[in-house]
Amino acid sequence: MKALQIVKYGEIKDSLAFNEVSKPAVQATDVLIEVRAAAINPIDKSIVLGNLQGLLPIPFPSTSAYDVSGIVVKKGDDVSNFEIGDLVYSRVPQEQMGTLAEYVAVTSEAVSKKPGNISFEEAAGIPLAGLTALQSLEFAGIKANDRILIHAGSGGVGSLAIQYAKAKGAYVYTTTSTGNVEWVKELGADRVIDYKTEDYKTIVKDADIVYDTLGQEYTSEAFQVVKQGGQVISVVGPLDEDTAKMFGMEDYQLPEELATLSDDKEASYKFIFMHPNGSQLAEIKTMVEDEKIKPIIDTIYPFTESIAAFTHLETGRAKGKIIIKIN
Amino acid sequence: MEELIKIIKSNHSLSQEAEDYLYSISTKKSFAKGEVLIRQGQQVQNVYFVTDGCLRSYCYDKNGKEHTLQFAIKNWWISDYIAIHSDESATLTVECLKESEVVKFNAKALEKMYTLFPEYEPFQRKISERHVVSLNKRILNQLQLTATERYTLFITQYPEIEQYTHNYHIASYLGITQESLSRIRVENAKH
Repeated sequence: MKALQIVKYGEIKDSLAFNEVSKPAVQATDVLIEVRAAAINPIDKSIVLGNLQGLLPIPFPSTSAYDVSGIVVKKGDDVSNFEIGDLVYSRVPQEQMGTLAEYVAVTSEAVSKKPGNISFEEAAGIPLAGLTALQSLEFAGIKANDRILIHAGSGGVGSLAIQYAKAKGAYVYTTTSTGNVEWVKELGADRVIDYKTEDYKTIVKDADIVYDTLGQEYTSEAFQVVKQGGQVISVVGPLDEDTAKMFGMEDYQLPEELATLSDDKEASYKFIFMHPNGSQLAEIKTMVEDEKIKPIIDTIYPFTESIAAFTHLETGRAKGKIIIKIN
Repeated sequence: MEELIKIIKSNHSLSQEAEDYLYSISTKKSFAKGEVLIRQGQQVQNVYFVTDGCLRSYCYDKNGKEHTLQFAIKNWWISDYIAIHSDESATLTVECLKESEVVKFNAKALEKMYTLFPEYEPFQRKISERHVVSLNKRILNQLQLTATERYTLFITQYPEIEQYTHNYHIASYLGITQESLSRIRVENAKH
């Protein structure tokens, strides 16, 4: 079968190549998915560039990407929750990475039936970003009337986080650039802040939760706008100490600046490392079918133009998800 | 099953032998919400008479979106008749939208009923005619009525179905988008 593989770390164009590879083996707990669509996310680019080789080392060549939608064409002996012919979607686990291919084998625990009211392409754009948003806001225990700031409302995670937070009844502030203000409003955000003309720090005061999807200075600035005793949740900032321990970094300490800010505000800081979860994807499926969440797609590329899709991803200017139609 | 026999006997004669045969080729089954009775791509051997609950038949298009063909509530029949009559694998999936009870018949054994007990045929013919009438009406409504009129007719005729369905089940049944259906509902609520 045809697969887009990472052949070395480095620039996108030099490091990705189409290869003919054998169909993946199906273990007892796996389903084999005939891939209809895959999505690429910032992590896929970071892996190719080698930025994550310490945390997520990969052998070469490795088929790229984690997000998938497609049809179950084979299943292992221990799989009872799926049948051949089921239409499914998944964020595949690290060890099964490789959705930019005609087939991918995935442990059934990481798979859910796809929402019935959206296409394969739309469904492929949900798993990684949707699970990240759900796990982050669930960790924060978001509830009705909480005031949350979600950075980068037009991004893959941000756009789904806004809709999830609204479904839970929260008041949502979000930041985006001028060109995205209108459609981000349509996602339900209560106050869309145009960061090109407004300073979010003067608008957001005492937020219960700040959801940092940007990192760098935004992580520390979060403590200026979060309330005393509030929560800062990040998916791109420094690891928190518990998460670092999970990766075996026993002596890791939160950078001093953040530790001080966190102490001063008595506000917690948590880094969320998304984990694959089929049951949570089933929850998201219901929310999509109930029209509480809709996926936002920037561009759909044919499989043959996957490398151009990565180049697009690299610009960081996508409004919603970049999808690759495989079949 | 008793309900079905009662329905048949209300307008048709049915011998004790024919009744016994119907019992012998049928099984009462209960299904939970979400359970699938017929799956697209698989062989179809059975037809179902609904005694309680709500079911739906639908197909996927090539983009993976579902399109509802039929809903079935108490005293309705449901299956993939295309598959049964063309002896092909299912083009439809039949699933329960709520906890449901059905009487399952083997389609071939039910077919045999006509030759074994000709008095049964008029009953089955009436069902088939009603089915054709309902499909014709559905096509005509699709051609002649506005989306709002189709929705209004649907909830007037089948008020109970809406409570078991997602919006997109009804939207795809009526051939409109979910957004249009939501808009129509808002408009209807104003009147």
